[in-house]
Amino acid sequence: MKMIASTKLTQAQRAMQTAKDYGIANNEVVSHATPDGDAGKRRLFVVVSSDRGLCGGIHSSVSKATRRALGAAKPIPEEKVPAADPDSPVMVIGDKSKMQLSRAVAKNLSLTFNQIGKDVPSFADACAVADLITTSGVEYDSVVIVYNKFMSAISYEPAFVEVLPAKALAESPGFKSYEMEEDVTKDLAEFQLANAIFAALVEGHAAEQSSRRNAMDNASKNAGDMIGSLQMKYNRGRQAAITNELVDIITGASAL
Amino acid sequence: MSSVLWRTNFSYNKFSQIAARALRQSLKEGERVKAERRGVTNVRFQKWQDGKGGEQVFLNPPKDKEVKKSAAV
Repeated sequence: MKMIASTKLTQAQRAMQTAKDYGIANNEVVSHATPDGDAGKRRLFVVVSSDRGLCGGIHSSVSKATRRALGAAKPIPEEKVPAADPDSPVMVIGDKSKMQLSRAVAKNLSLTFNQIGKDVPSFADACAVADLITTSGVEYDSVVIVYNKFMSAISYEPAFVEVLPAKALAESPGFKSYEMEEDVTKDLAEFQLANAIFAALVEGHAAEQSSRRNAMDNASKNAGDMIGSLQMKYNRGRQAAITNELVDIITGASAL
Repeated sequence: MSSVLWRTNFSYNKFSQIAARALRQSLKEGERVKAERRGVTNVRFQKWQDGKGGEQVFLNPPKDKEVKKSAAV
């Protein structure tokens, strides 16, 4: 089981390296556009996970991070948790997180997606999700994508990435200093959203594969340990039974 | 200008996907098979209202994939 997960992990990691560049390019624009403050922003949360289990704490880590952000009145800078109203809209990619969040914050859910993550996610998936988000009619001032950041082959942690829609982008100070057509700004905002979702999907996929490999590894090790200790118990029991029988026979023989 | 024609019907993302599909279909056989995999998406979505989920809808229904669109002149 570990070997199968390992090959998938290397594939996923390789895809992640290339996809990360999309995310970095995205962040360049956002960092130079320098959006102003936090106050009164209506944030849309997009939770990135997948449909399949047996991968350790991947889905619950993302769900927990989202619930923390929804409950936080002020942003928590040390853990980079953004602040959001408790009734912010939430969209979920992936059935496992959907089930967890539908039990906790069902009223906030507006759109959920599945069938992503069986294989390395493609840009077509990200485009489809981005389009459905922009045409869903949900109102928001910015999009926060919650995903699992791949720290190493044995660890991951939940992270937040903020993406600005067309209106907020056009009004941010860094952007305003340039002449831009409105159409182009709208295109850029939509493309940025798809980019960010793509980077998050692929990194989340890599984190999930690494977590699955570790979970499978631990499961195999635990099963092996259990076999060993049960084998010991069995042998001891067998020897005790034989000893008892011998004692019976000997006392019986000596009684004659 | 022709750039205005597509704007009213779909987003820039869809526009780039269509252009990408056209490019993929113009590749030579071996490369094309590899590239086709990058354009595949089986996304399903579900609208939620008041904590209740609606019907699951396929974005690209599987049986319609064979339909090829040709440009009307």
